[in-house]
Amino acid sequence: MGKLHLMNALRIDGVNVVAGADRNEGNRLFAQNHRVKTYGDYASLLDKEKIDAAIISLPTHLKKEAVVLASESGLDVFLDKPLAGNATDAEEIVQKIRKEKTRLTVGVNYRFFDSVQKIRNSMESGKLGDVVLATSELIMNGPFSHPLVPTPVADWWLSKEMAGGGALLDLGYHVVDLFNWMFGDLQVAYSNLGWRFNLPVEDSAIIVLESKKTSVKCVASVGWFMKMIFPAFNFRINLNGTAGSESTDRYAPSDLRVHAAKEAVSNLLRRIAMRKVHYLSYTYYYASFHSILESFFDMIKKDVDNPISIEQQLQVMRIIDECYKQGGG
Amino acid sequence: MAKVVLTSLTAKDFSQTDINNTVTKSLDLLGHSFGSNIKDIVIKPNLCYYWDYSTGETTDPRVIAPIIDYMRNRLGRDIDISIVEADASAMKTKYCFKALGYDKLSEIKGVNLVNLSEGNIIDVNVEVAGAKFTLPINEIMLRANLRINVPKLRTHNTVGMTCALKNIFGAIAKPRKYAYHSNLPQAIVGANKAIRSDICIVDGIVAKGSVPRKLGTIIASDDPLANDYVAAKIMRFNPKRVQYLNLATKEKIGNTDKINLVEDNITLAEIRAKFPHYNYQWHRLSWKLQLKILRAYAYIVGDVIPPVLEK
Repeated sequence: MGKLHLMNALRIDGVNVVAGADRNEGNRLFAQNHRVKTYGDYASLLDKEKIDAAIISLPTHLKKEAVVLASESGLDVFLDKPLAGNATDAEEIVQKIRKEKTRLTVGVNYRFFDSVQKIRNSMESGKLGDVVLATSELIMNGPFSHPLVPTPVADWWLSKEMAGGGALLDLGYHVVDLFNWMFGDLQVAYSNLGWRFNLPVEDSAIIVLESKKTSVKCVASVGWFMKMIFPAFNFRINLNGTAGSESTDRYAPSDLRVHAAKEAVSNLLRRIAMRKVHYLSYTYYYASFHSILESFFDMIKKDVDNPISIEQQLQVMRIIDECYKQGGG
Repeated sequence: MAKVVLTSLTAKDFSQTDINNTVTKSLDLLGHSFGSNIKDIVIKPNLCYYWDYSTGETTDPRVIAPIIDYMRNRLGRDIDISIVEADASAMKTKYCFKALGYDKLSEIKGVNLVNLSEGNIIDVNVEVAGAKFTLPINEIMLRANLRINVPKLRTHNTVGMTCALKNIFGAIAKPRKYAYHSNLPQAIVGANKAIRSDICIVDGIVAKGSVPRKLGTIIASDDPLANDYVAAKIMRFNPKRVQYLNLATKEKIGNTDKINLVEDNITLAEIRAKFPHYNYQWHRLSWKLQLKILRAYAYIVGDVIPPVLEK
């Protein structure tokens, strides 16, 4: 993800990528090939460079220390989800951010899918009436992805201590965040975790959340068990209200290859017309990473509110902790 | 003369009992002549990645179970049986054994699980088509009295098809086997020169071509090359046009002059008709073309290529 953020940051107006830090030599070389100065550790980078913000893309167990250090250095931080491995660490991070009066944006990129924004707008316009039942599925391969050049799944992904959890924390985080963002005030009514692959972390979860504020019930199913190769993508949210229903499936491209071709042509035309390119829009999935990073930098440039409320992220972590307690994780 | 036996599961639910009966029957029909001094047996499934056996990518542990029982019945309870697999470019055996049900199988059947990338690794020199290779091979593979190769029946993005010969390539101890991909046919044949398969039992319960398909097929053979010739025909490849099969024939890895094909309760034509055809050449061409177009597009527009698609 760090590589993707770097490539995106290099394409955002008004952003000067000063330096990158990574223990991995291959990743440092990748950054150097894009004319970015590199360090072997982030402490040295913070010590030697004058910067305004940091993008932190680290395994979950290494996040807290990095966020604390960046915040103490007075930096605004963009952090890949999840906020932390558990609610206790999340609380500590948030307290630190508040104390240092810096800002933290968690990379909940699913909020930036066109399809998600459209169904949320439908709901807010009143078109659906009162939403009574919301369902979501996010089932894919999780860390078991197979890139063009195969690389093994890093050990931390499969360690409860280091990752904090499995499919629920990794994918469930997005779904819980979306439901919390749409309905707020969620409580856990049911949680069931699955271990088909006998790994130390769960590979599937079914949770039911209830909103005290709106009485909507949210059912989410997430899983890491499906063999899926990019560009395939298996995510949907369905909102069922008293006056109608909406689904992200209605707005998501039905054929991702046709979508890619259309977007590529549009971007070529934008480039010719000297207009702004919609970066990564041809991938559908990865465009949301560019959008959320752009919002983070807009917040800094224009000094506006954090696009992703840190309080909401803390609530997400508390809900997930409760799901683990109830589900036996 | 090489012998290849084709059998089919009879019940549609593919129960463990049905799998046991079919694997046992296959081995009986194969009639392998076991030597008198067999003490160490290695069983090599194909666990190339963490994908579940139901995807058609990895060997179903339910096929391994009756093989273990059969060997104990034939050769005695005190034989030492190990299920072996090496780490791969993108796979760690320690997780694979767990995730794909081999931990449980080992516990139930009382057999060893061995990571071929760990322990005593011996450099074995082989020569393939005039080129010399040094392949790191775990001592257990070289020491075993009987090597049972339990591959999958499926297509492969780089070499077209994978079955018995390709599965032995997976036994090379070096985890980053991607390093051999520029000479993959030679490396596959080299691995089979270093490690001889005595018996092949192909898991074609769920086979994979363009999509996974429940075929319910078991193939048994005492010759990995003859086995792969038959597998190629099932998957609609001309065996003579599969590069590594051609090379293996030249290097006399097995015998394909005369194959004694035993079609028990299903014919090759019937299995072939059910196999989900995969146009390997078109797939390769289409991927290469798509990547070239993508790179050209990204260069002209200045767009990002996601790291998952970057070399």
